[in-house]
Amino acid sequence: MTTNHLDASQFTQHQQFDTDIVIIGSGAGGGIAAEQLAQAGVKVLLLEEGAYYSRDDFVMQERWAYPNLYQEGAARKTRDQAIGILQGRTVGGSTTVNWTTSIRTPQPTLNYWHSEFGLNFTGDNDLTPYFAKAEQRLNIHPWPIPPNANNAKLQQGCEQLGWQYSVINRNVNGCANLGYCGMGCPINAKQSMLVSTIPAALALGATLISRISVRQLHWQGNSITSLTAVPVDQYFQPRTDIKISIRAKHYIVAAGAIGSPALLLRSNLPDPSGRLGKHTYLHPTVISGAVFDEAINGHSGAPQSIYSDQFVWPDNSEQAGFKLEVPPLHPVLMATKLIGHGEAHAALMQQFNHLQVTIALLRDGFHPQSQGGTVQLDDAQQPVLDYPISDYLWQGMRQALLAMAELQFAAGAKQVLPIHHDAKLYRSWAEAKTAIQSLPMQKLKQTVVSAHVMGGCNMSADPAKGVVDQNGRHHQLQNLSVFDGSILPTSLGANPQLTIYALVWRNCQQLISML
Amino acid sequence: MDRRQFIFSGIALAASASLGISLWQHSLQPDTDNRHWVLAALLPALLYGVLPQDPTLAQQQIARTQQAVSDFMPYLPLRQQQELHQLFNLLANRLSQLGLTGQISDLPELSVMQRLELLQRWRDSYLSLLQQAYHGLRELLYGAYYGQSEHWQALAYTAPRFR
Repeated sequence: MTTNHLDASQFTQHQQFDTDIVIIGSGAGGGIAAEQLAQAGVKVLLLEEGAYYSRDDFVMQERWAYPNLYQEGAARKTRDQAIGILQGRTVGGSTTVNWTTSIRTPQPTLNYWHSEFGLNFTGDNDLTPYFAKAEQRLNIHPWPIPPNANNAKLQQGCEQLGWQYSVINRNVNGCANLGYCGMGCPINAKQSMLVSTIPAALALGATLISRISVRQLHWQGNSITSLTAVPVDQYFQPRTDIKISIRAKHYIVAAGAIGSPALLLRSNLPDPSGRLGKHTYLHPTVISGAVFDEAINGHSGAPQSIYSDQFVWPDNSEQAGFKLEVPPLHPVLMATKLIGHGEAHAALMQQFNHLQVTIALLRDGFHPQSQGGTVQLDDAQQPVLDYPISDYLWQGMRQALLAMAELQFAAGAKQVLPIHHDAKLYRSWAEAKTAIQSLPMQKLKQTVVSAHVMGGCNMSADPAKGVVDQNGRHHQLQNLSVFDGSILPTSLGANPQLTIYALVWRNCQQLISML
Repeated sequence: MDRRQFIFSGIALAASASLGISLWQHSLQPDTDNRHWVLAALLPALLYGVLPQDPTLAQQQIARTQQAVSDFMPYLPLRQQQELHQLFNLLANRLSQLGLTGQISDLPELSVMQRLELLQRWRDSYLSLLQQAYHGLRELLYGAYYGQSEHWQALAYTAPRFR
């Protein structure tokens, strides 16, 4: 570990720091910002609630990875427990644990932002050069190795049905095709913030403080004056015995799309648009399992190497679009998501190596009936997301279950199991189709998960329609920026990391030119 | 207080009134004995079909899973920890258990099949509280069990070792 790293849990007395720029959060947004600003020669202090681990800590076991690398032990849920949320909480944020899929922002999403939020990413504001810079910096390329069987079935199903599919671009360098990206890369092949921009920023003189939770931004007039933070304990719960005060010229909030709005809400920042903590999007995701005769071994090999955009942009705007991908299959992830209990569950688990799993990520935020969720604060001032699921989304999920079952049978599945608590293994596409059409689409019956949290501090040209402007600058507070997925005004219809890298890279250039 | 806490509180208050003690005040506090007692009763049902036939081996797996639950819970938000403490405490109390299970017998006195039926009733309950209890416990306990490499034999899965 570098000498530029401080572990706040080791502090024994109150602390005070002064810096040019403080960055709260070290994920896709904070990581890019740290390197850009350190390169510009300003004094950077990077704060992270999680711990600073390195490859030797990544033991490829879920029982270590989930409590130590994920928000709420990977058991984060929406308020009504209906949606499980996977989100990183460690140095590097979700980039340390994501599945490496790197996709540029889809053009229809940018078009929608232009028409609805006045955000113009053309001409001088074109993101293309920033996508290219991020792709070069993080070694993002199409995956050249044949897909593992789990992804290959997605490809084969698409080929059989004539559906669109693409090979995924991944941010890896020297990847050994292990399949354990979600537990931290044990060989530093994944070009997460942990191994790329953060070490570079530290080498340029930036300081990292880990195991620190920022509780409040203090403000006066149109400026942030300081922030207050506390160390976290061994379970990452905020402590109350030690106080850390930090003063900076400029404050960058990059605590993720649940953490950032929560911090702004705790700080009672001005919110004239009424949109702070609102319109949080999840790419609500439904799951379909399939049993194959041959071994799939979905735990082994690059977790995501094929996707299908066949259904992301349906012609009928009343239908929710969804993207098809696959997840890695590991024992805890499987056991907690497979349905049933007792013998039925045990029998499914015994087919572990023969299960193929497809997921459908719904593109939320593009329809009047899809206005997202709301970040709220609980009694301990910790965030909890309320995300009601509308009938529009439920119907989209049913369409997604149908598409996945059709695809899996087309790829040669023997049986298909929609992950819905009233479903069972179906032996043919016809049987599955009839059954899925009558499944009750209700919370807790229908399993819904998310690995992409977006929005809550959305950008907009008009201060009446957002929290920050197109450059991520807060509309009301002159020395505050939000540089993370919370600025997205809708979901993306694509995995978010590359969008965040490019937007933040561009926003940093704007910020540096104005400092 | 949200709806879930409200219903839990109602069950706890009803039991408190019957017992003349302040169960509600204590119900949010962690009680290791209550947690172990409830898990020892529910795990053999939830894991029916995967626990070894040999009682000693089965007991070892249950104990390991209980320990994994204890190790994991402090990472949850305090709000969720309190809900789980309350659920374990209520299930360990005969009168409040009646409100949650409809059974006057203590959980360990029920057969494994009766315990499975109980889980099924929670799953299908019209009360979202009981549905949440089912899904919350299910995820916590399956995560704890299948997180242990000693329990992977049935999956024919071994994690790679290259270091």
